[in-house]
Formats: sequence, structure tokens, C-alpha cells
Amino acid sequence: MLLRVPRNDSVVNVERESMTDAHLVAAARGGDMHAFERLYRVHSARVYGLCLRMTRNPDIAEDCVQLAFVRAWRNLQAFEGRSAFGTWLHRIAVNEVLSHQRNHGTREESDEEAIAEHVEIEQAPSQFDAMDVTDVERALESLPEGARHAMVLQAVYGYSHEEVADMLGVAVGTCKAQVHRGRRLLRQRLGMAEVE
Amino acid sequence: MNAPHQDSLDQALAKLPRDVQPRRDLWQGIRSELGSAQTLESRPSRSSGMRWYQMAAAVLLVIASSLTTYVLMRESNVQEPALADQEPSRPALTVMPASFAGQGLGQDYAQARASLDQQFEARLASLPGPAREKVQRNLADIRKAAHEIADTLAQHPNDPLLQELLLSTYQSELRLLADVAQMTPAPVTRVDL
Repeated sequence: MLLRVPRNDSVVNVERESMTDAHLVAAARGGDMHAFERLYRVHSARVYGLCLRMTRNPDIAEDCVQLAFVRAWRNLQAFEGRSAFGTWLHRIAVNEVLSHQRNHGTREESDEEAIAEHVEIEQAPSQFDAMDVTDVERALESLPEGARHAMVLQAVYGYSHEEVADMLGVAVGTCKAQVHRGRRLLRQRLGMAEVE
Repeated sequence: MNAPHQDSLDQALAKLPRDVQPRRDLWQGIRSELGSAQTLESRPSRSSGMRWYQMAAAVLLVIASSLTTYVLMRESNVQEPALADQEPSRPALTVMPASFAGQGLGQDYAQARASLDQQFEARLASLPGPAREKVQRNLADIRKAAHEIADTLAQHPNDPLLQELLLSTYQSELRLLADVAQMTPAPVTRVDL
């Protein structure tokens, strides 16, 4: 029922990055800090985008990114390579976000303008309709926390319901319900007609 | 399946950039955090894995040495009583390695060992040649094991397992010295009468 959002990455790029990741991870596991920095350079923007959308606060998102990479380094030996390094890293980042929200409350003040402007500035205007992107970003941000987390991971970052449920520590059914709710609210807020 | 409205929502979501550059370079903060925690040193590596094999080998060596010496002492008491007083020369006790000289164990250990050393040397001199060599060899094994543990402990000074292991090795040495020192000298038996 739910559609996977088409990814912008080309298959070739993903494969090349994966191969590079494997080598970099192997080197980093051996204590090579430069290899780990390279992994940071490759993955930090995506991890930050994920954290920013989940936390709605650039400062907190940056903290979560830093903590995620520190934790990743310390746990590299436990990375078994069964999933992509990026996926493993995202799991850690999601944990940091959830942990932060547990420790500091879930009603963090969001910085809507900062997120919208931030995302706008970083993208080439020729590729996206800037107004649309800002509207969607704001609509996504306005979702209740549970629906937003599920939507960000499932609809924006392309994880399966099972993966999202695992990352968020909820049942798969709960995840599906949150995504369904998120999509319904997004349609309303973006002025799209209800489906079904 | 693909309703027009679903398409428009998915298309809108697909326009969102997955990658968003942080406002500043976060690497310096990450690097300093990793450096301050001395993470590199504390991470397990292949060489530390080898260290643990060495540790295990050292423990086995200590146990084997103690057992062998114990059995040997009992046998020499029973079987070779008459040769003891025919041994004129008395080998000096192996020099105690610096790292094994009561490191962190306090004065009690040092005193106990000094006293035992004296008795041990006296008793060792009375042992028959093969038995004496065996005891010396076992003692050397224990001390070698202690050296290796102490070296590893110097790299991981807060490792409680290593501390326990080193203490246990010291105790093994003490036990060996005590066993030999407290052995009752075998009575000299005249067999030529």
C-alpha cells in the first residue's frame, strides 16, 4: 500500500560507496583514524539530515551526529558488516536522538525557520522547486513525534517498516500505523486530497 | 495502486534532500572526544588478542610448574634421601626480576619472600641435582609468566583481571618457595653398613 520513495542515488554510486566503506571500515577497525574521518566525510551529511528532521533542532542534531560517530568508533569491532555501514550508523544516530529525547523530554523547541532555511541553502536551486521543498519540510516537521520519526525513516530515508520498527523500538504494526497517520496528515497540510 | 494523490505526496517527499550539510565541521569535536578518551589504546585489537593468549599460556604454565614441583618434591623425599649431603656446591638463587620485586604488593610480601628465599636456598642446596634443576626451572617459568603479565599490566594498568592474575602468580611463586623451604630434610641413611 505504501510506496517507497524513489531514491536519488544511482545504483553505481551506492555500490562504489559500499566498496569504499568496506575498506575504510576495515582500516578504521585497525585503528586508522584517517579512514574513520573519511567515513565521517562520506556519511555525516546524511546522518545530520536524519537527525535534523527527527529532532527539529540543528544544535541538538549536531550533538547527536557527534555522539553517533564517537559511539560508532568505539563500537567498530562490533560492526559485523551484515548491513551497510551507513545503515548501522543511522541506527546509532537514531538511538542518540531517542536517548536525547528521553533525557531532555520530547517537546524540544523546534527551530522551523532554521531547518527550512538550512535545507534550502544546502541544495542547488536548479534541482528542486525551493517552495515545494520548504513546504514539505515544514509539513513534515509539524507532524507529531511518532509519525514524524516513522515518516522520516520510512518515507524520506527509505527504510522498510521492519527496519524502522527495529530502530525506533516499536512493533511493526505501530510503525505502519504511524506512517499511515503521517501520510494522512501530510496530505492534509499540503492541501492534497485524501486517498481511499 | 498508484493513485495520483499518492504519487504527488511521494514525489514531494522525494524532492527532500537526504543529505544536509551541518553548519560547521563536526569532525574536530569528534576527533577531540576520541583523543581525550584514549579510545585507540583501549580498543581491542589483534595484538591484544595475542596478549590474552599469552596470558592464558602464562596461567597454565604457572599451574603446571606448581604441580610438577609439588610432585617432584614428594618423590625426591621418598626416593633420594641419601644423596643430599653429598652435594657440596650450592647454586645461588636466581636474581629476582625488578618488575617482580614486590611490585605494588606491599611490605608483607617483600618480607615473606626474603624470609622464604633464605630457607629456600638452604633447602634447595640439599636437593639432589635433577630435582634441584627441576625446581629452578619451574621457578624460572613462574617468574617469566609474572614478567609477561607485568608487562601487559603496564599497558593496561586498570585491568582488574590482569591485576588479579599478577597477584595470583606472585602467590604461586610464594607457594613454591614455601613448599620447598618447608620440606623436611630427608634423614641420611647409611646403606654401606
